[in-house]
Amino acid sequence: MARIRRKRMHCNNKELHHKYKTKRRTKDLDQIQDDLKPENKARLLSQDADEDLPGLGQFYCVECAKYFVDDRTRLEHRRSREHKRRLRDLKEPAYTQKEAEAAAGLSTDNGHTSSLSAPGPMSLLSLKQKTDQGLANKTASKRPAMDVE
Amino acid sequence: MRLEKCYFCSSTVYPGHGTMFVRNDGKSFRFCRSKCHKNFKMKRNPRKVRWTKAFRKAAGKEMAIDSTFEFEKRRNVPVRYDRDLMSTTIKAMKRVQEIRARRERAFFKQRMAGNKERERVENVREIQKNIHLVSTPVAKAKEMQKVAEASKHMEVD
Repeated sequence: MARIRRKRMHCNNKELHHKYKTKRRTKDLDQIQDDLKPENKARLLSQDADEDLPGLGQFYCVECAKYFVDDRTRLEHRRSREHKRRLRDLKEPAYTQKEAEAAAGLSTDNGHTSSLSAPGPMSLLSLKQKTDQGLANKTASKRPAMDVE
Repeated sequence: MRLEKCYFCSSTVYPGHGTMFVRNDGKSFRFCRSKCHKNFKMKRNPRKVRWTKAFRKAAGKEMAIDSTFEFEKRRNVPVRYDRDLMSTTIKAMKRVQEIRARRERAFFKQRMAGNKERERVENVREIQKNIHLVSTPVAKAKEMQKVAEASKHMEVD
């Protein structure tokens, strides 16, 4: 976990507030992981000259999504702690909405096309069928799918 | 009515609440409150922020694997309204909730088991280590008396 500075962070730091505006949002880790795929990486490393970018956009660090003025500064950057930290962060898969939902206990089940005709063991339709059978048989256990400890 | 999950803390976002951020590549992120939005803007990783569900699940603070999680699912298949199905679903939801609460309690108990013993051992070790700082009540009283006498002498002088 990167160390987070705790003091003088809250209200009087114009620089930080400026940095955190969504207007100036830099690339997220999942976007960078996408960029790191060979075909995207090649495209980013050989861009056309753009005079609005530092170094005409010729010296790009894909991992940090940053342009540099020349090759020497880029090399210097590659040796820096910042860059190495970014490499470490990129090693693990990016956080997704799917993971957020999984943490809340929600998953997606699109099932198969035949799901309505043959529902899975845990689906509500099969539960209902079981309860129907249960009612017909007048058995005591209403929900056999759940094991109650 | 669709209930979304917060991207950052995984809580439920009810209609009319929270914020949605659309990134310039078209991907959208939903947040339950400004706290989550701000943390996202600071580029924090929810897996490493201790108050998010993602952290708590990943760090083994909460029950993560259980059969009760198999029920709540986003099924993108429309189901024809059926009154009986509806009533069984609602009954099942209540029952599942009950069972999950019980299992969560058991999980918490198990996680906290042995804490008291550990704390006791720790305390005993601390006392043994710093025994020179502990004085007996008798010795303490004597010390106090000495101090009081000294101050009396000072007043007399």
